Amino acid sequence: MLEITGLRKSFGTREVLAGLDIAVAPGELTVVLGANGSGKSTLLRCAMRLIEPDGGEVSLCGADLRRVRGEQLRLARRQAAMVFQQVLLVRRRSALENVAFGALGELPLYRSLSTRLFPEALRARAYESLERVGLAKFAHQRAGTLSGGQAQRVAVARALCQRARVILADEPVASLDPRAADSVLALLADVAKSENLGVLVVLHQPELARRYADRLVGFFDGRVNFDRAPSQVSDDEVEALYPPDDDEH
Amino acid sequence: MTSTDLTPRRLGTRPTPWLRTAGTLAASAAVVALYVHAWFDTDVDLSELVTGFHNMARIIGQMFPPNWSVLSASVRAAIVTFDTALLGTTAAFVISIILAPLAARNITPHPVLYELARALMGIARTIPLWVSGLLFLVTVGISPFAGVLALAVETVGVLAKLYAEAIEAMDMGPVDAMRVSGARRTQVFLHSVLPSLTPTFVGLVIYRRTVLRSASLSPPTPVGGRIACRAARFVARRADLMPGVVGESLRGRGR
Repeated sequence: MLEITGLRKSFGTREVLAGLDIAVAPGELTVVLGANGSGKSTLLRCAMRLIEPDGGEVSLCGADLRRVRGEQLRLARRQAAMVFQQVLLVRRRSALENVAFGALGELPLYRSLSTRLFPEALRARAYESLERVGLAKFAHQRAGTLSGGQAQRVAVARALCQRARVILADEPVASLDPRAADSVLALLADVAKSENLGVLVVLHQPELARRYADRLVGFFDGRVNFDRAPSQVSDDEVEALYPPDDDEH
Repeated sequence: MTSTDLTPRRLGTRPTPWLRTAGTLAASAAVVALYVHAWFDTDVDLSELVTGFHNMARIIGQMFPPNWSVLSASVRAAIVTFDTALLGTTAAFVISIILAPLAARNITPHPVLYELARALMGIARTIPLWVSGLLFLVTVGISPFAGVLALAVETVGVLAKLYAEAIEAMDMGPVDAMRVSGARRTQVFLHSVLPSLTPTFVGLVIYRRTVLRSASLSPPTPVGGRIACRAARFVARRADLMPGVVGESLRGRGR
């Protein structure tokens, strides 16, 4: 569904991604673990070409993301949705409108000039997506007034409304309390199964990862250290991903 | 680990104390010299302010009672000035909203468009109001319309630049999130950039209400000119004021 092979990216002399291979299968929640600076976020951004990678291949639902440009890139990207570390909704729009924004790419321009011009069918679809994440009653609340956990669930609803086949989540629970973090991950695992989506989550909480992941990927120094079912990854292997910081002054 | 950072070798790399003291002294002396120069260059003489005060009082006194006969004409001119500012600013607002995303490094569709938009804004800012006013005056004839155009140009220069900078400073997260979902550039701008920055944009255009002042002071355009003339006549009718002012000031300098 999403296959990344040999992805490379350097910032100046620092090699952040040193030829990475990773694949996301439908119906699976894959969790990427790794220390700060190990290249996890860069991986997601490079895969979607928010940052241009130096080399490697990215195939998303059959489209060669590295080769396409302009309009083709836009259409290819529609198969994937991203959920970010900070909640990235448009704060001054309602939850429902934010969810509907997921489908902007399929609307003709004149229909998307204002949220008032959005087709009724899209509103209904957005409402369904909100219901799916259990937030239908907040549909008309401004996104800026939602709690962190609610906002992340709205972001997942937006991905559903987009009808993306792949969800990429960059530390989606970094700023959430344990209960909210748990509910967001449970939701991601749930939509992966029920909608048969490929879900890739970058995470800093190994315990959460073990509980919800179908596959654990360990990142170290821009490379994949392990890529297995959680039951086959030892605590020591996870521990080894986080070396003591040696440049503290 | 921290103790090794404070070795004498490290401290030795700093400038020696006497050198630093000398540097501070030199810098202070330069600043003082600058102020002394400015003081004499502008003929500052505080006693003049006191001895000449009665002149100021006399002129202000001569402004009363006002000459009411020019009141209606003045009000009429003020309304035209307001209209000029309203239209000029609104036009500038619309143009700036279109120009700013092109001139913002982070969301510009193309580097060439970026340079082009920046250049346009630069030109609009560089042309003084009275020059563009003059140009439009010979183009559209002697009417407040020339003022509207001149004002729009000047305001675009400033407003579009402020908007572009606000866009460059904004959090790119929501923009990226929407871009990845396959939204078109225009859609991203309309639904992510614009709603996030609406308060900033509106705030900036209201701040630019000072254009009202610009409008009333743009001399070659009839609007501004008319207001200035009325004001001058309003004051001058009271007495043979101007020769008096000049005379007083000359007498002052002669002492």
